[in-house]
Amino acid sequence: MEIKYTFQGLLVYIAMGTYFLAFVTSLLRCRKAGRVLYLFGFVIAALAFGYRWYDVRHVPLQNLFEVFLCLGMIYPVSLFCRRVLRVGGGCGDMLIGVIVLFPAGFVFNAEPQQLPPALQSWLFVPHVAVYMLSYVFMAKATFHAMCQLAGKGAGPDEKLLGPEEATYRMICFGFPLLTLGLVLGSWWGKIAWGDYWGWDPKELWSLASLLVYVGYFHFRYMFGKKRPRINSTWAIAGMAVIVITLLWVNLSRIFSGLHSYAT
Amino acid sequence: MGIKESSKKKFKRFVMWACLLLVILLILVSVYGAFIGAERAQKFVNTPALAVYWFAFILILAVGLVLFRRLVRVTGLLLIHVGGILVIAGALWGSEAGHKLQSRLFGIEKIRTGQMVIYEGESENHVLLEQGQTPKELPFSIQLNDFRLEHYKPAYLLVETRGGQSWKVPVEVGVEFSLGDDFGTVTIKRAFENFKIRIEGQERKIADEPQSGYNPALEVEIRQPNGEAASRYVFERFGGHANPEDEFLLRYERVISDYISELEIIKDGKVAAAKNIEVNHPLYFGGYHFYQNSYDAENGQYTVLMVVSDTGLGLVYAGYVMLCAGVFWHLWVRGVFARRKLKDK
Ligand code: HEM
Repeated sequence: MEIKYTFQGLLVYIAMGTYFLAFVTSLLRCRKAGRVLYLFGFVIAALAFGYRWYDVRHVPLQNLFEVFLCLGMIYPVSLFCRRVLRVGGGCGDMLIGVIVLFPAGFVFNAEPQQLPPALQSWLFVPHVAVYMLSYVFMAKATFHAMCQLAGKGAGPDEKLLGPEEATYRMICFGFPLLTLGLVLGSWWGKIAWGDYWGWDPKELWSLASLLVYVGYFHFRYMFGKKRPRINSTWAIAGMAVIVITLLWVNLSRIFSGLHSYAT
Repeated sequence: MGIKESSKKKFKRFVMWACLLLVILLILVSVYGAFIGAERAQKFVNTPALAVYWFAFILILAVGLVLFRRLVRVTGLLLIHVGGILVIAGALWGSEAGHKLQSRLFGIEKIRTGQMVIYEGESENHVLLEQGQTPKELPFSIQLNDFRLEHYKPAYLLVETRGGQSWKVPVEVGVEFSLGDDFGTVTIKRAFENFKIRIEGQERKIADEPQSGYNPALEVEIRQPNGEAASRYVFERFGGHANPEDEFLLRYERVISDYISELEIIKDGKVAAAKNIEVNHPLYFGGYHFYQNSYDAENGQYTVLMVVSDTGLGLVYAGYVMLCAGVFWHLWVRGVFARRKLKDK
């Protein structure tokens, strides 16, 4: 935990605060004000990302600080889901915005670094970007799955899908991106260090997260909507594994001694 | 007829449960593998028990394709599931066991993976395998014309006072850098790739001889506020040497941006291919990929390449393409957008 006393840090904190305010405002049923605040928070988050880009002079997706910064720009995804996919949950997205910016604001180091040779590949950006986008969809899926378990609808809007179907649609949207992310990573691994699959912890956790969703699809094919609570549990389990995938390098210190590969 | 139908239904159910079980098992294997680390995980998935598992996975996928009409009729589903088979089959074919099998069945003698150490100006065809195994030969040899490191520019000279104040001085020869009124200035007089001292008669001569070794250094002049100047040499590879009376601690620090080996493939006495390989840019020749792997950190005289066989790679990549095409087609184009159109009507 560290507070960033920099312009960069300030932008992140303002974005977080605005998202949180938007969330609270929406909970208090001031929907309009909530949306305006959400949009405002997005503008700040985009500014923070743009400033970082300018600062380091390469696409800022190199370390976890930058990745979480990028995730903070969640607003267009909300809009797309609502308008095109008929999946609501904008209120949950505001909270997701706060949660993903938290690590950028308080956990990860923002010191700009020069790219080590292994990261100098055109596959670097698409690989990470595709993953991040898929994680946002899976986070939304998790929000709806939790709504389903809690017995709540996503909102009074007639045009929007119910929570079980919204979860499914979000996973349908996120899964191809998750697959592509894994395949691009594997391909890059082949080019960069000789093997398309090295069985290292990060790879294995990302495989596990993909497989949880594979399990979800087949379970839902077998039982349809007859077991909605179990469907939702699969979806939440998927997100749990994704979080571990993202943070394993840090988490694995807790399990030191159990593994030989930690960095 | 009725009995046949219902037993087929039961079998379908069984296959789906088997699919679910296999998926859950693989999740558990992955998590276990993450805990034990890459090296042991790799050994684990190559054990006979896991080999049985991989074949079971292919088998259930194949049975599913035969049993469920929709898996064949629906293009996206077909691509996904056939893609899955190809990936696993390709990985098995390219594994250590796969290579052994091919050698026994078809007499194909291919090295799965190993390392080559090549000195500058020399050529080599021996591949070093794991410890305790005799090196094997490639049917062609590789010549290393040059190996070099590249660094980010500018490099930096780090200057630190005993009091803990510090500066990052960009390495630009001849440019004076001010340390403020209290400390004077720093000027880098000369940058060496390979710093050498020669004794010629009574005289010591300092020279840069980049051909014969690797000892990067800087000649630094420090001018105190009172105008007194002194020169010092700072070495990249031997940092931290400071006399007790020195006011400043100096370090020469460079960040490596690339490792480059200039290679030529020599087959039957002729140059068959040439490429400068770097990290992320391997050379492909004769069924093998060659990667920049390591180098002679002492003198920069040799490079270490990793050699990896391409057996099974085509299958795996074909599987990847099908898998990706399948999921995007089935879940995005067909699933999300097509259903939405239906609803609009
Ligand atoms: C292990 C053997 C497997 C069997 C027997 C199997 C069988 C099936 C079946 C019967 C369906 C339903 C098709 C339909 O909608 O009518 C299906 C769907 C699907 N399978 Fe598999 N599958 C297997 C492995 C996999 C794997 C390894 C993947 C990983 C990428 C996968 C990904 C999918 C996807 C994405 C769907 C679509 C789900 C949906 O439309 O909701 N399957 N599978």
